[in-house]
Amino acid sequence: MGKHDTIADMKSGIKAALVVLAAGSATRFGHSTNKVWLPLSGRRIISRSLINAAKNFKQARIILVINPDDEALAQEVIKREMAGLKIEVVYGGVTRHESEHNALIYLAPAINSGDVEVVLIHDGARPLATPALFVEIADAAHLYGGAIPTIAVDPHEMDMVRSDTVVRVQTPQGFIARQLLEAYTKAATDGFIGTDTAACMEKYFPEVKTVAITADASNVKITYPQDLAIAEHVLAKRGYKD
Amino acid sequence: MEAELNCAHCHQETLHELVYAGRLLVSTTCSVCNTRVEHETNDLWDIYLKDLPHRIATKPIRMWRSFKRSPSKSFWALPKATFSKPFKMLKEYRNLKKKSD
Repeated sequence: MGKHDTIADMKSGIKAALVVLAAGSATRFGHSTNKVWLPLSGRRIISRSLINAAKNFKQARIILVINPDDEALAQEVIKREMAGLKIEVVYGGVTRHESEHNALIYLAPAINSGDVEVVLIHDGARPLATPALFVEIADAAHLYGGAIPTIAVDPHEMDMVRSDTVVRVQTPQGFIARQLLEAYTKAATDGFIGTDTAACMEKYFPEVKTVAITADASNVKITYPQDLAIAEHVLAKRGYKD
Repeated sequence: MEAELNCAHCHQETLHELVYAGRLLVSTTCSVCNTRVEHETNDLWDIYLKDLPHRIATKPIRMWRSFKRSPSKSFWALPKATFSKPFKMLKEYRNLKKKSD
């Protein structure tokens, strides 16, 4: 049993917005070839990402960021596989950064009114992030200002000797909503494009403490064909739950 | 089914063709270099046979959900779905068999 499975299944009361990115542009002959729409053990990758994200929150806004070309497909999948969830669809941009910004612009009224305190941004191609991890990231972001899941890189994997610990960063990444919105607004003015959410926060709010939450290696990002097989195995081991 | 995935051989994101047996992925083929990635055969049969009872057990609830979502569409689709199911299962079996040969 992993670390995150031992956390009680209590629902978080944090006013969070869960932004799941699925705005990849791959489209061919009228059908989407974006991997997030692939089936994984009987359910779309994106459905698993969204369901896990929302599971342990009492009052979260759930935002799905898509490519406008995928609108019909997204509505069909939401209806079919996520009927119990209230999902708000937002169109993404050309880059990941732009997609995140679009989601934050959409959430701006709720952020400014205090209805959303923390924003978690998650890559839709990571279907195995557990519900407990989302809560842990939200709690830490609420407490410290920011939180990201990380796993330490094995020193044997690196081609140079380092005395410090090198980590791989995953998603969901969580931050205080107002600061995150401000960071992306400033980035838009400056023309800055961050590689991920944390990069943009680091540039505009270097004083904000972003804590690293030890994550699980099973939170794979579906990138290579082999990742799909790994994900199937992990899901089978979890009994197709989470 | 097709999707953009990174090919370890081409070192770029390319269109891949994916073959499934039921809910399980059997193989993926890169459309550029034709590199084929397959599950371990024994493993796949094992997983497939373990997964099958789960699929059968959850079928009634999945059908019920489908009826709740769109009753008329589900009603009219039922005869075709029932008739084609054995052929779908046969295709799954063939995909797995082809892989193990």
